[in-house]
Amino acid sequence: MERADLAKQSKLGMPHLGMGVGLRSVHYSHILNESPAVDWFEIISENYMDSQGRPRYVLEQIAERYPIVMHGVSLSIGSSDELDFDYLQKLKALANTVHPHWISDHLCWTGIAGINSHDLLPVPLTEETLKHVVKRISIVQDFLERPLVLENPSSYVTFACSTMPEWEFLSRMAEETGCGLLLDVNNVYVSSVNHNFDPREYISKVPHDRIVQIHLAGHTNMGTYCIDTHDGPVIDPVWDLYRLAHHFTGGTSTLLEWDAKIPEFPIVHAEVLKAREQIERISPQPCASTSDQHTQSEQTTGTIAHSLPPESVTSSATLIPQPAVFVSAEVE
Amino acid sequence: MNNSPHLDVLQRWMMSVIRHPEGIEAGINSPEAQQEISVPPEQVGQVILPSVDCTSVQRLTVYGNAYFARLIECLEGEFPAVRFLVGKDAFAGFVLTYLKETPPSSYTLADLGRRFPDSLNANRPPKEEGDTTPDWADFLIEVARLERLYSEVFDGPGDEGTAKLSAEALLAIPQEQLLNIRIEVTPSLKLVHLQFPVHETITAVRKGKPLPSPIPQETFLAVHRREFVVRRTVIDKPQFILLQQLQQGTSLIDALSATIEEMGGESFSPTMLQTWFRNWTAYGYFTNVHLPESRA
Repeated sequence: MERADLAKQSKLGMPHLGMGVGLRSVHYSHILNESPAVDWFEIISENYMDSQGRPRYVLEQIAERYPIVMHGVSLSIGSSDELDFDYLQKLKALANTVHPHWISDHLCWTGIAGINSHDLLPVPLTEETLKHVVKRISIVQDFLERPLVLENPSSYVTFACSTMPEWEFLSRMAEETGCGLLLDVNNVYVSSVNHNFDPREYISKVPHDRIVQIHLAGHTNMGTYCIDTHDGPVIDPVWDLYRLAHHFTGGTSTLLEWDAKIPEFPIVHAEVLKAREQIERISPQPCASTSDQHTQSEQTTGTIAHSLPPESVTSSATLIPQPAVFVSAEVE
Repeated sequence: MNNSPHLDVLQRWMMSVIRHPEGIEAGINSPEAQQEISVPPEQVGQVILPSVDCTSVQRLTVYGNAYFARLIECLEGEFPAVRFLVGKDAFAGFVLTYLKETPPSSYTLADLGRRFPDSLNANRPPKEEGDTTPDWADFLIEVARLERLYSEVFDGPGDEGTAKLSAEALLAIPQEQLLNIRIEVTPSLKLVHLQFPVHETITAVRKGKPLPSPIPQETFLAVHRREFVVRRTVIDKPQFILLQQLQQGTSLIDALSATIEEMGGESFSPTMLQTWFRNWTAYGYFTNVHLPESRA
């Protein structure tokens, strides 16, 4: 299929929504008062499932004006614990209220034995895990009565027992379940640095017809590894990967996440709109580097952390990988 | 290791390792982790591969640091006054104790702080026998309780978008029915009895103003939500008792009687009662009134 045709075709019946922004509570007033020309918003599902106060009220107002997508952080599809049907029921009830275009979460586990780490922990990439995850995705999809969309997480460890690369796991998972994929190109970059793989190979090999959404975000370079902190603008090597993903998918819904040191809304919005400029720059040979400070070799092997200037390297050990989203009470 | 661990074994092992408060190596050596995968820190590469630049322990440390940093940051957001009063390190210590006793189990971070005030109370320095004077620990625990209450009122049940009971509607009730009415109270209203005026401390911290001295002073608060913002109002003891009675669904006459009895026979002038009810209706404490006939 030609890329132009692929772009027009909705993936798994899910439309191309354009350039969206992750909804965060610090921007509520701006969005309600200014009605910025954002194509769509992605919400963190868990922040609204139980809300009976302002977060839920604001969400319902915004859902009347903008397309919404629900993005979760606690489904824990890879956990060995039983699926939490109370959680799923609340997820479904929220979806019935705000009518999201799709519901996404992560290929990860968040806890076991009833404990939730509130982190997106990586799964060992094995046949056993694949079988386990496929079975659970099918149960969840049946329960939600819609395809699930799962995101590749940033990861910081490699399990010795893993037997396949993540792109292969995702491909087989999508093939066997019919689920969609949320390709986070920043996560691909972060993991490529942490695990020393070629991020371009990863993006070229995931099943492009299953990618219904792309995530963009900033991260923090720790010198010998990267952390997915969502606390700054998207760096050039990640834009390079975005252009590559766009080339392969023919274009798909794109969303920027910014979760720490969050600037004013127009700055966040402007950052995702850079994606349009990136798309316009796509040449017949995709993913030509735009970054003068990185060599082609560094970009393709994911060793960019070593090549960054010293001032861009952070040494703090208390930086927090996402997710860490908490809505503080507003008190008179 | 000759065999690859099963998924559940690996997950229980990793959770034990990254959640250990003394660090990854202590976590690997812990009985909980050893029970799942018996491997010493120097051989943990059999489970977690090193990277080009990081050892297996360093890689696991990213998750270990993140677990505590994330949860501490969330609780700092929910308890800014406690955090300010005790300082960063002591607050982190309180949180570590709390997480050890009460590991997070909910799918939402909004539940994380639910029992934090109880943890502070359970781990407070012991008082001398017979000493009932409120002290610094009591003060801190009350600050935590009120900050948690603010969170619960902020995102809990409310009545925005529905009509409130007006003073005029109350005044329009025929005199012969008035004493037997039952008043519906807004679901967001919480009545708090404190040993310190900790609401002043919390407000000072949130607004960056000078802190008042933590001097004990019996304090009664009505905390509720209006237009999605938490409001707190200082009330006196009779108001506290009367509102408590009304909240429980007691008829006005019974609520008044109970309040007078509780206050040792002290009665209230009609003018005082009118002022209270005018204020309370203006604040939006009441959502509806049930006349005697309307209750089956």
